[in-house]
Order: sequence, then structure tokens, then C-alpha cells
Amino acid sequence: MIVLDAGTPLGTAWVASAVIFSATSQFAYLAVTGAGGSEAAAIVAGWIVASRFGILAVALTGIFKEGVLARTVAAVNAFDMNVGFGLQQPDVATAKRAFWYVTVAMMGGWFIGITIGTVLGDVLGDTKRFGIDTLFPAALLAIVGSSLRRTEGRIAGAVGAAICLILIPIAPAGLPIILSLGGVAAALTFSSPDRP
Amino acid sequence: MTTLSIVLLAIGTWGQRLAGMFLVGPALERRPLLASAANLIPAAVISAVVIQLTVADGKSLVVDERLAGMAVAGLLVWRKAPFIIVVIAAAATTAILRAL
Repeated sequence: MIVLDAGTPLGTAWVASAVIFSATSQFAYLAVTGAGGSEAAAIVAGWIVASRFGILAVALTGIFKEGVLARTVAAVNAFDMNVGFGLQQPDVATAKRAFWYVTVAMMGGWFIGITIGTVLGDVLGDTKRFGIDTLFPAALLAIVGSSLRRTEGRIAGAVGAAICLILIPIAPAGLPIILSLGGVAAALTFSSPDRP
Repeated sequence: MTTLSIVLLAIGTWGQRLAGMFLVGPALERRPLLASAANLIPAAVISAVVIQLTVADGKSLVVDERLAGMAVAGLLVWRKAPFIIVVIAAAATTAILRAL
């Protein structure tokens, strides 16, 4: 899906999307390597961005309290959409059903989507002509949209973005994204003055 | 993208999901400050990735068709448009401006 821009063969693109299982990590990786950053910096950026999934898995602990197998399968499938639907349900049983239902639907869409994406990328040639390079950041913005609606999230996002913007011309590629974590500290400092 | 980087990224994403379910989730129940810090990481870091993909070209900052596409995306996200509408409108804006 993502790697088509980097001129990677179709097979690799498919395998990468299926195995890494996190489009946002791939976006971050490509943002860093695309800017001339090292593999190591790109991978660290991918890991930090993937913390979103760790947080989604944390949210699932409220629904899946027992059963190592069920908790494992639920955790590795944690995405924004299925966790979101699950958490909106009134009781735990309905929440579990909603989570699995959305999970199955999403997995089908994901694998069909990356196949179409890789094939199309191959056929279309210069994907920039179709604005594909804007498609990725737009998707990311839509993903964080809900947390940017809250004051704390908005401060974290604005400061993180500003740190990155200032550092892009002066710091090695990858570092601006990693150091944007400073936005979290800013949000915690400014949004709750009563905290010691 | 090398095989090693694919494997390392995969370990990072899968590992963090499992850690979230089995280690962090139970541990955070009594630590609200850490929990709210963790919740803010995606907003900060993904916003930075968005900036990088929108205005960076290597180490220089450029204003081009991508920024116009992302302005449309921002407006639509703010208006709570569906995900698919946001990405298509953003890509279409950039593509149309490039074609002009």
C-alpha cells in the first residue's frame, strides 16, 4: 500500500502491509526514509507511531478480561475502528460481538485494499499525478482527528507538529518525528494547572 | 524496504499491542497520569508525521499542492466527514492542482 511510492516490488509491498499490520508505522517509516533519514531512525519512528496500537490494546482490557487466547487475538487485531465500536456498546457481551464483527469486516477490506493498491500503483506508474502523496497524510489526520478534538490532544498535536516543523531543516531526518513526543509533555503541563 | 526493517517494524507493532493488553493495561489502572500521557502520544507524533509528509522535501520546507490538499483534509476532518471522503478529497485536490 505505502511502499509503492518507494519503488518497492509488488510482492514486498503486499508482504510488508500484511506483516507489519500498521499503515501508520509504514507511513512514518517512509516519511523518514523519504527525507533521507537512516533505516534505524525510520524504524524508531515507526515504533513510536505504533504506540497508538498499544494504547488501543489497553482500551480493550476493559472488554476482554479473561482467556489468554481471546485476549491475544483481540490485542493483535486492535485497530481504531473495531475498538471504537466495541467501546460504544452498553455491555461487555455486546461489546465483544461488535468488536469481532467489525474485526472480520476490516481484515477483509485491508487485504483486498492492499492488493488493489499495490496492483494499481504498478499500473498507474507516477502515483504523484493522482495526489497519492496527499492521501497518506490525509488518512493520518483523519485517524487522529478524534483526539485533536479534545483540548489536551490539540495541545499535544500542535506542539508536536511545531517541534517537527522547526527541526526538519536542522536535525537529521527521523529526529523531528521522534522529538515531537515533547508535545505530550507540553499538553500535560499546560492543560492541567492543578497537577503538581 | 529491507526484510530486516519489515521484521523490526512488525515486532514493534505486534509487541506493543500485546504489551498493551497484558502488561500496560493492568498496570495503568492505578496510574491516571501515565494513562493520560500514553493517550496523548498518537496526537503528538502522528501530527508530526503529517507535517513531515505535507511540507517537507528532504530537509527543506516547501509549500506546494500537498498543502492545499491537506487544508481540504483538515476542513473535512473538522466537519467530521467520513474517512473515505477525507482521503479522496485531499488526494483529488492535490491531483487537480498539479494538473493545472
